[in-house]
Amino acid sequence: MKSVQWIFVPILVVASSLTLLYPNFAERELELAVRKEFKQLPEETRKELLSSFAERWKADYNPKSDWQIEPDPSIFPEQDYYLVKGRFITSAKINQLSQENQELILEPKNKLRPTWVEEYIFGGRPLAIRLGLDLQGGMRVVLKGDFDDYTSKLKDSYTKEIEELTRKKDDHSLSEKERKEAQDKLKEIESYFELTPGRKLAELEKAKLIIDNRLTNQNLTEPQVRIQKDQDSIEVSLPGVSNSSQILDIIRNTETVEYRLREPSDSNGNSRGTYHDAIELEEMKLMNQGKREETEIVKFQNIVKQKLGKDEQDRFLAAMEKKYNIPEKYKLYVKWSRANNPKASLLPREFVVLERAISLDGKDMRNARESYDQNRLSYYVSFSLTSQGAEKFFDITSKNVGRQLAIVWGDKVISDPVIRSPIAGGNAQIDGEFGQKEATDLANVISEGALPIPLNVLEMRFIGPTLGIESIEVGLKAVLLGFALVIVFMLIIYRLSGLVADIALLVNVIVLMALLSLMGFTLTLPGFAGIILTVGMAVDANVIIYERIKEELAAGKHVSAAVAQGFENAFWTIMDSNVTTLISGILMIKLGNGPIKGFAITLCWGIVTSLFTSLFLSRMIMDLLVNKFGVRKLRIGFKKLESKNV
Amino acid sequence: MFDFIKYKYISITFSTILIVIGFGVTFGKYGGFATSLDFDGGLRAVVEFPENVERKTLEEYFSSKNLEAVLVLMDKDKNDYQIDIGLGSVDQIKQLYVERKGKDSIEAKQASAIDALIGLLQEDFKLEKKKILSANQVGSVVGAELTSTGISLLSLTLFFIMLYLSFRFQFKFALGAILALIHDLVITIAFIGFFQIKPSVPIIAALLTLLGYSINDTIVVFDRIRENAGNLRDAFSQIINISINQTLSRTFNTSVATLISVVAIIIGGAVELYDFAYVLTFGIILGTFSSVFIAAPLVDIYDGLSKRWKRS
Repeated sequence: MKSVQWIFVPILVVASSLTLLYPNFAERELELAVRKEFKQLPEETRKELLSSFAERWKADYNPKSDWQIEPDPSIFPEQDYYLVKGRFITSAKINQLSQENQELILEPKNKLRPTWVEEYIFGGRPLAIRLGLDLQGGMRVVLKGDFDDYTSKLKDSYTKEIEELTRKKDDHSLSEKERKEAQDKLKEIESYFELTPGRKLAELEKAKLIIDNRLTNQNLTEPQVRIQKDQDSIEVSLPGVSNSSQILDIIRNTETVEYRLREPSDSNGNSRGTYHDAIELEEMKLMNQGKREETEIVKFQNIVKQKLGKDEQDRFLAAMEKKYNIPEKYKLYVKWSRANNPKASLLPREFVVLERAISLDGKDMRNARESYDQNRLSYYVSFSLTSQGAEKFFDITSKNVGRQLAIVWGDKVISDPVIRSPIAGGNAQIDGEFGQKEATDLANVISEGALPIPLNVLEMRFIGPTLGIESIEVGLKAVLLGFALVIVFMLIIYRLSGLVADIALLVNVIVLMALLSLMGFTLTLPGFAGIILTVGMAVDANVIIYERIKEELAAGKHVSAAVAQGFENAFWTIMDSNVTTLISGILMIKLGNGPIKGFAITLCWGIVTSLFTSLFLSRMIMDLLVNKFGVRKLRIGFKKLESKNV
Repeated sequence: MFDFIKYKYISITFSTILIVIGFGVTFGKYGGFATSLDFDGGLRAVVEFPENVERKTLEEYFSSKNLEAVLVLMDKDKNDYQIDIGLGSVDQIKQLYVERKGKDSIEAKQASAIDALIGLLQEDFKLEKKKILSANQVGSVVGAELTSTGISLLSLTLFFIMLYLSFRFQFKFALGAILALIHDLVITIAFIGFFQIKPSVPIIAALLTLLGYSINDTIVVFDRIRENAGNLRDAFSQIINISINQTLSRTFNTSVATLISVVAIIIGGAVELYDFAYVLTFGIILGTFSSVFIAAPLVDIYDGLSKRWKRS
């Protein structure tokens, strides 16, 4: 092995690993956002809140005074945030700060500023290793299944069928048998709308599984999803989330995708529908009087911008439906768009009136994929339909040529193209003005199946680590101590070669951590167990090699020959044992979930790094020692074994 | 040189006895494995206790009431404890509450298990209502689905390991390795049952770790057997003996190094990690034992049997 030329490889690997790990131990800056409304509170209250914040800052949040905060916590900041500087600002800490000072801190706007590594090399992508629920806690959201909404949606999807059957049931031109059949079918459909506790639980179970898979696949984390039977709700805990808008993304992901027809244009075909026109007329009036702020759409936008929540939006729309006398047959929606500017944010821009009956829903779609459209410079989502769906789609598009078919994602209308001709063949696409993330989200919702029930947020709070703070502190010390002892043990048993093994071991752990950092992996106790096993196997690899070298030396070989032969003999042993473990690891990643997956990911990457360090790095250092620095007496173990033919 | 093969039947019998005792005690004495919140669901409450209440106090309190509770210290400064009580103790709690409130108390009879738990704690520790930070009846995180995926995952993994080892070594080695792995898994599960360790996510992690460790250990020994079988002219059982003895110092050193880091967790006193560390420590010792006393002898036994079949 011509080691000298190759020495730059491990140096490069270690250097880049340390760069990747930098954000984990660098000084970070956190923008702790404050509420603007705080200034409107009575002075008494403000003083009280600020002084309690300042007090807790000294006692609880920053007991060692190793973080700085600008301005002082007893003063309300002029710019919109407190700037906190310090090392090891964990998301758990950020959550705790926000949670305990809700009137002062605007939690969704908190921001951990990226370090230079994240900024310049990764375009702002966060790199720090996140710790799991067991090691640092996270956010817990309790989502209540909205079964009323579920039933009403279910009713919507059967509207046409019920109309048809009711007509048949009372149609005396049909035979007795046919009428009886229609009646039975009606009864059966009505039974779908009755929710027994057992059925509710089944729907919750389905939802639990979908959320679990989605979270596990999207961010390599180990969420905890439990069902709370008594409250018809699902409890989702997610580690490493530093603000709640991230966890709310899951809920946004719980939405459905469905097609609904717009209200028909009037008989001349030159308007966009009676109710739509009525709303439009009022809005124009206000605009012409210069009262833009009073238009319904601006009011609605404000509800969205202030993040007042879906309930508030629904209330607003229900009030409007009343005001404009929109009949039961229709439902008021809002179309969201970017107003012809791809950089603008997605906002509600126009009210649309759609039929209550669902023309096609997510159950009929599958295999969604997002693709980039070169001409429109935006993403679109294409999907195929089930055979039943294709039939429905053809039926609707052929009966309603010239009308608009709106695509509703959750509660947003994202596009409403005009049906130009009947669409057959079971493939379709949705063009919204999507960015990549939105298109991916939409495709996910279609492919993975939307959640069976709509979910509302019941409560959201920060939770501490499930293993207990004390245990983690003690455990961390124990692991570090254990690691140090292993290093000492290797030194005692193998002397100089032990030092080589220790260097390899340290590099191994550094590179592995850097890889996990790069993947955005969330480390939990099972993941940690994977690292323990990796360290064990890495030590083992070195032990095997040295024992082999010892044998060669005992047989009277020259040092450099013994080293070369020792590595040669150990090579396949190490390969075989590692490959076998790798096989099981890969299977666990592919098929396992949650803890099994977390364990397997660290194990597999650990095997890759320990193969590199034991077969490549250790060998190079040993070669250098023996061939460059002329180490003639290789002390491996207690007996001084020297080559006898020097 | 120590003759391992000579004692093969003794070691296999020893293992079998361990398994029988382990499962016998698990089902005979305890009626099955311990229940846990992660696997079965149950009650979870987070309570802020007065300063003078320590872990020990709480542990004694629950064991005197004959309740299985897992305590986790959530916040040192405020003395917040999370109390997890498995489904197995739900009836017991209701029973206690009814006794406390009097047999005729309608309120007590209608109280849910979680109300009963809170009621008892509030009375016995003189807690205000607001000191109960949260209390819920929660479902399992892992459970039925994990057991079913676990079993299919395990079978598939064993199959692939067998394939690889048959290809790299010979079928007899693959068989020995797989049987030794199953042996390790079964004994460890018996161990978990014997000591009524609560199954949890960390315990699964420990199980997976020991399987990884054990297969690694076994292959190192087998590799040496394969190499010696190519060079030496001795009887197969003799070759196995020589190989085990040659790799003995490596086996010992590796086990010690790995054990150091695990035992550190126990000595360090991370209470909530004890179960995890116990299972790992047991697993590493067992994995080392099985690669020397179980896996290699099994290969020898199969080798002897297959020769006999060929002759007949």
